[in-house]
Amino acid sequence: MRWNALDVPVHDSQRVYRQLLSVMAEPGTFVEVGGTPQPPSGAAIGAACWATLLTLCDLDTGVWLAPELNTAGLGEALTFHTGAPQVGTPEEADFAVVTPATLEEAAPAFQEGSETYPDRSTTLLVVLDRLDTAGPWHLSGPGIPGVRRLDVGRGEALMKRLATNRARFPCGLDAILTCGTRLSAVPRSTRITRSASEEVDACMSP
Amino acid sequence: MSRSAATASGYNFAYLDEQTKRMIRRGLLKAVAIPGYQVPFGGREMPMPYGWGTGGMQLTASVLGQDDVLKVIDQGADDTTNAVSIRAFFERVAGVATTTATAEADVIQTRHRIPEQPLRRGQLLVFQVPIPEPLRFIEPSEEETRLMHALEEYGVMHVKLYEDIARHGHIATTYAYPVKVDGRYVTDPSPIPKFDNPKLHMAEGLMLFGAGREKRLYAIPPYTRVESLDFEDHPFEVQQWEAPCEICGARDTFLDEVITDDRGGRMFVCSDTDYCQSRVEEVA
Repeated sequence: MRWNALDVPVHDSQRVYRQLLSVMAEPGTFVEVGGTPQPPSGAAIGAACWATLLTLCDLDTGVWLAPELNTAGLGEALTFHTGAPQVGTPEEADFAVVTPATLEEAAPAFQEGSETYPDRSTTLLVVLDRLDTAGPWHLSGPGIPGVRRLDVGRGEALMKRLATNRARFPCGLDAILTCGTRLSAVPRSTRITRSASEEVDACMSP
Repeated sequence: MSRSAATASGYNFAYLDEQTKRMIRRGLLKAVAIPGYQVPFGGREMPMPYGWGTGGMQLTASVLGQDDVLKVIDQGADDTTNAVSIRAFFERVAGVATTTATAEADVIQTRHRIPEQPLRRGQLLVFQVPIPEPLRFIEPSEEETRLMHALEEYGVMHVKLYEDIARHGHIATTYAYPVKVDGRYVTDPSPIPKFDNPKLHMAEGLMLFGAGREKRLYAIPPYTRVESLDFEDHPFEVQQWEAPCEICGARDTFLDEVITDDRGGRMFVCSDTDYCQSRVEEVA
């Protein structure tokens, strides 16, 4: 079995971080992480999500794992490799590893920061089964010349949750989107709309 | 481009320890997500005094990779004390390649200028910031300024600019000219001349700001609206010069006045030395 840690922690984490910084600065763009370890075998997250955790987490960051993802020893592996404490409630979390399903119906109350310290908010690490361009979600705002389109598969609940950020700005949630080795991001500064034509299609489908 | 042979041993790559880098990296992600908002960070002591760019250096150290090419400028010049020292520092502690050519650089650390050549996509521009709070000279209390930002209470900034007009007939602020980022946060663009303010608007590169003594970092993402504060009847204007650069003849650059002798002799030349030199080479 291969070791689940970064091969060269100093340089590998720097490389992953620059990819994270680039997708956060240009929401709706994608990068593929490469040369990073596989997550613990059996865990329901991809290499991009695992690399992000290894890059950003340490003993100063509380991590909340959605119950549906906290399987196959993922929590233990995360604590072992990063030293990050796992918090019991979502509002204590600096990072929350979630799926769109986590955000449906009784969505957990994450920390959105305050008007005076909006940076003290949870960053979502979202595990998706689809992450592509040319979807129904239209993104605009800082980092986006014009409009970018995003396809997050069955991420309706996620995008609706992120779309509410705008009304609460500067408070809000920032999301790092992951799917396999693919990374993208939607920070709270992004305006999200759903294209009308897609909505018509959805209504017409049985 | 040059790569130094000797890298100092006994230090982590780029001087800072990994936990400090992670703390700054997390802060930078929040700064990018909230354009123009000043994120507090645990500033470290650097092997140089405050005021020499310790904030910018900590940001550069946190984002820099071994394959990056670094450029450092001070007031536009690659060959001044501050620029030379910081460049030498990163050559020693990170072993990275350095350059003076703006186009070749992946990361550019700057003191008080934005290069004349527009940033390209993917480039990082790291600013050294002395006082990150644009409201500080009006309101000394951090608690109050923080509340003013929260309530978007920026009227007093316009009063300051208005007092300029009442006293001088025009807005006399020429550097560190306040901007509004994405229509929300009033932000200090660092002490760049107001000539450079238009370059902040819809730039293609990511701009990061670090204040070491004040322990604040903030960011302006690419393709972001950045407006310089002004009035309808006194619109924002940049400096203009009567004569072109005496070395390269450029008419659209920021010029420095250089004293040439002790009898009042002087000349005006481009402050961006790399831009000036590349123009001279093109002509030759």
